Amino acid sequence: MADDIIEGILEALRLMFTFDPELWSVIGTSFRVSLTSTFLAALVALPIGSYIGLREFRGKKILTNLINTFMGFPPVVMGLIIYLLLSHNGPFGALGLLYSTTAMIIAQFLLAVPIIMGTAKAAIESVEPALKETILSLGANERQLWWELIKHSKKSIIAGFLVAFGQAISEVGAVMIVGGNIRWETRTFTTSIVLQTRMGEFGMAIALGVILISIAFIVNYGMTRLQSRVD
Amino acid sequence: MINIKLLEIKNLSKEFYKGDKSVIKVLSDISFSVKKGECFVIIGPNGSGKTTLLRLIGLLDTTSNGQIYYNSIDLTTISGKEKVRYRRKFSFVRQKPVVRSTTVFNNITYGLKVRGIKYDDYKQSVNKIIEFIGLKGMENKNASSLSGGEMQRVAIAMNFIINPEVYLLDEVSANLDSINIKLLEDFIMKIKQDKEKTIIMSTHDPLEAIRYADRIAVLNNGQITQIGTPNEIFIAPKDEFTAFFVGYENILYGLAELDISTGLSQIKVGDLIITASSQQEGEVKACIRPESIGIIKEPAKNTSYRNTFKGVIENIRELGNICHLIVRCKSEKFLITITELSRKNLQLKLKSEVYINFKATDVKIL
Repeated sequence: MADDIIEGILEALRLMFTFDPELWSVIGTSFRVSLTSTFLAALVALPIGSYIGLREFRGKKILTNLINTFMGFPPVVMGLIIYLLLSHNGPFGALGLLYSTTAMIIAQFLLAVPIIMGTAKAAIESVEPALKETILSLGANERQLWWELIKHSKKSIIAGFLVAFGQAISEVGAVMIVGGNIRWETRTFTTSIVLQTRMGEFGMAIALGVILISIAFIVNYGMTRLQSRVD
Repeated sequence: MINIKLLEIKNLSKEFYKGDKSVIKVLSDISFSVKKGECFVIIGPNGSGKTTLLRLIGLLDTTSNGQIYYNSIDLTTISGKEKVRYRRKFSFVRQKPVVRSTTVFNNITYGLKVRGIKYDDYKQSVNKIIEFIGLKGMENKNASSLSGGEMQRVAIAMNFIINPEVYLLDEVSANLDSINIKLLEDFIMKIKQDKEKTIIMSTHDPLEAIRYADRIAVLNNGQITQIGTPNEIFIAPKDEFTAFFVGYENILYGLAELDISTGLSQIKVGDLIITASSQQEGEVKACIRPESIGIIKEPAKNTSYRNTFKGVIENIRELGNICHLIVRCKSEKFLITITELSRKNLQLKLKSEVYINFKATDVKIL
């Protein structure tokens, strides 16, 4: 077993430093899918989430509960739902999207939306009331207030975005189900690690694991820097 | 002062709901009106509801009951869009200023920016106000890194520059050092001179109320206990709370002139000329504490008192071992505190003719 690990690490180094094309294909797919889905999710979730945070209205509590529930939605179940919708006999089967990166983006988009929405909402709500009042008393209308509060809580909002991205890139269940782990096409870090481990190809698995951990480290480092920075 | 009601508050109340559905009544049945150009001071202890009242007037919170009329338009029933329009007629300076995390300049000009005013149009006035408030050279500093006093100056500048109809000042001098208080005083006096501008301010400091107020409302426990001119409130507080909280003070409004031969101010107050140990000239408020005024039956000879006036006792209030006398001297009324014992010795009764006297050094000019 120890030999396997050492061999695996050596193989990982070889793969990384020889720029193995399959490794790069996996990295490329992972980034493309995770970044696209997180960006699209931010585009939708940021305005809606921050607006919910700004306003007081009937049913806000229920909506908050709903968003919070979906923030912890099991990715495997999301994969299952998207699979059923996109499968040949499903309502959107005719689109032929199953086992494509588009399907993976849809699944991860739906997982990222509540995370970004929830954090944006919480960020806006946590702004001290005195600041909101000061902005209003200086004559801002609702749209201007909204924009000021988004600017004020940009750190928390970016942190939410990074959390969503981190979750997307390390997620395995949903992308496995709807992407199908097709070599050169829909294979990602996580699905590849699962496969290579099963096949006893530890070199590739370890190489991918190291890169994934490095990404996690960089994201976390970015977040720490962000939070400690004084504007 | 233009004698029209700019603001009229009618039966205003505000309740807050706590988590457990219990109700806290912060303001109940508040009614008063404020004239254009007036400086209306709300005085009361901490927790009496002053801030809430100002926030309601500034449309920063919703009322539970009652109406706020601004030029006869009920502000409690207008739409959100209209609210923004009316909110822009007010400015609100908080006790603890809050600034946005951006430069001093951006903070000061924010109110103009949201009104869609172009930079070129306000460039000059911004520079002028930055100089007036003593923030020159700090324009590009981040406002959130400033000290409390500097932040309050930024807050004043950003509220001054939007040129509102009504200034709402919420205990703005609390937490300030004497230099910043002086700046604030200049600022408030500058607004007071402009008869188009109305000020509604809150304070817990009686002297501050006297200094600025045309009229004072005393707020206790969410209710207004008395409204009147400073003189009315400080000479004749309506209840024990008011008397205890604001204290007693004779406040005289007059025109001061410096007498070169004595180096003292001669203040013309109604039909009286009062001498004060001050070099101030022009319109002044003179305060004399009721216990600093002496009372005698016959005019004293060779007295060191600079001020001696003949008067008639109009009212006597017995308060245990001390008593309050209201003495009318020509056009002015004075409140005098003496012990019950000396009143008996002097045989002072209603309508008694007396002489009152006080030192020039006991006349405090505000």
